[in-house]
Amino acid sequence: MFLAWNEIKKNKLRFILITGVLMLVSYLVFFLSGLASGLENLNREAVDKWEATAIVVTEESDKSLPQSSMTLDDIDDIEAEDTAVIGQFNAIATNGGKKANVAIFGIEKDEFIMPDVSQGEAFSKNNEVIASDALLEDGFEIGDTLDLSSTEEKLTIVGFTEDARFNAAPVLYGDLSTFQRVKFGEAAETKGDQINGIVLRVDDLSNVTDNEDLEVVEIETFITNLPGYTEQSLTLSFMIYFLFVISSVIVAIFLYVLTVQKISLFGVMKAQGVSNGYLSRSVIAQTFILAVIGVAVGFALALITGAFLPGAVPVSFDIATMVMYGLILIAVAIMGAVFSVWTIVKIDPLKAIGG
Amino acid sequence: MAILELNQVTKSFGTGHKKVDALKETHFQAEKGELIAVIGPSGSGKSTFLTIAGGLQTPTGGEVIINNQNITELSEKKRSKIRLQEIGFILQASNLVPFLTVRNQMKLLDQVKKDNMTKEELTQLYEGLGISDLLDKYPADLSGGERQRVAIAKALYSNPSIILADEPTASLDSDRAYEVMELLQRETKSKKTTTIVVTHDTRLISYCDKVYKMTDGEIRLEET
Repeated sequence: MFLAWNEIKKNKLRFILITGVLMLVSYLVFFLSGLASGLENLNREAVDKWEATAIVVTEESDKSLPQSSMTLDDIDDIEAEDTAVIGQFNAIATNGGKKANVAIFGIEKDEFIMPDVSQGEAFSKNNEVIASDALLEDGFEIGDTLDLSSTEEKLTIVGFTEDARFNAAPVLYGDLSTFQRVKFGEAAETKGDQINGIVLRVDDLSNVTDNEDLEVVEIETFITNLPGYTEQSLTLSFMIYFLFVISSVIVAIFLYVLTVQKISLFGVMKAQGVSNGYLSRSVIAQTFILAVIGVAVGFALALITGAFLPGAVPVSFDIATMVMYGLILIAVAIMGAVFSVWTIVKIDPLKAIGG
Repeated sequence: MAILELNQVTKSFGTGHKKVDALKETHFQAEKGELIAVIGPSGSGKSTFLTIAGGLQTPTGGEVIINNQNITELSEKKRSKIRLQEIGFILQASNLVPFLTVRNQMKLLDQVKKDNMTKEELTQLYEGLGISDLLDKYPADLSGGERQRVAIAKALYSNPSIILADEPTASLDSDRAYEVMELLQRETKSKKTTTIVVTHDTRLISYCDKVYKMTDGEIRLEET
């Protein structure tokens, strides 16, 4: 550390440049991870809110809630501690001025997926809904009457709930009968038992049902099968992984150049008996100092940027993931330094001093 | 007692017709408290002699014994340790670390080795070399002579049993050169170290107990 730190102090500009590059790379990594988890939340936050372990859909729906269609009688085939029925329907809602793509969830008020109301009150009559507070940001208000595409029914927002988006669409929670009227129109009378799925809280998934037409899907599997979800998060993950490789290579190149410049110095020091171990530790320590500073500054910058971004950009910083990425960045930077260690070990003190 | 011994040491480079004997069969002994000069023209093998004596390269034949340890067969790692413990190098190329202040040059040695000089001894050493005012300066801010004196301080600081100096006075004017030789002489006598100075500067001979002359890879004791 002694050698490492003194060199950094003396050659500030040089090391500020390296730290700056590391800072930019880590800033990008943190920002992308924020975008990734923001996009993920956009898709899944409503589902996460349920705190459910699994969902039952029909086998032929291929884990897609909108494509699954069953009746209330199917609950009888299910054995679980806690169940909640759900009907789902996508529509475009407008309050006269604003339009929004929404997911309408039909639920039973006394079951566990009933959301907490953060503003206003819960639905109590037909065609009353609790809306995702994402709609509040979009300019919808309590008391708004919503016209829906593809149906004559009108819904009234009576309350808002937090963190309720499903597959990027804000959710409207309503009564099961509200959902059926929206979905089936005049046929609702005869389809009063139609639902899309059953949400479960259960410890053991294997014995939930014998009905071969039904499929029990773990919540995490259900989420990764949401349209576009896996593709989006894989794309961003790939960018992040590439950035890890890039930062490792950048550090390797920088340190290698610095080390090559110091070959004769290291040679003289080796001639005097300073061990390879000490010199190598010094280079590693230097990398560690630079990486920690770069990553810390990048971390702070990402958080600051996130705070100033408009709501339309879906960033949400998951501190645990960011800390993990930060540690990975420091680790790959140190891996880059190993290249220079190898160079140091190879230096012949005799040649270096011109013997 | 001999602190440094070279027995039948040879060093050659290349093979066959291209074979060059940099060092012909060499016997050499240095006792504690001796200040020895090795003089000779460039290319005569002085540097080869010095680097073999200092354990920086292994001889083709023969053995090198430093403080009762035969270092000829040791691994580079072990020889590196012996260099650290036993030998102080004063090299032609400045052996100072450019990003450390004079004070920190010594601290670096504390990092890698124990039993260096005490604080009082170091203060005396600084005074003796006239560098007490330079402690917070970087090598780039020093003159050639000052750098050389700091390099000497660094070599002496680790309390080596052998000091190997390659042209220690090369960048100094006569007065400074004499001062440096006086200092080396003083240190050698008071600490019972052994100092070997490789030089082509014959003005320095008067300070030395023994003078060896090197010609074409052969070392010969000069009568003084």
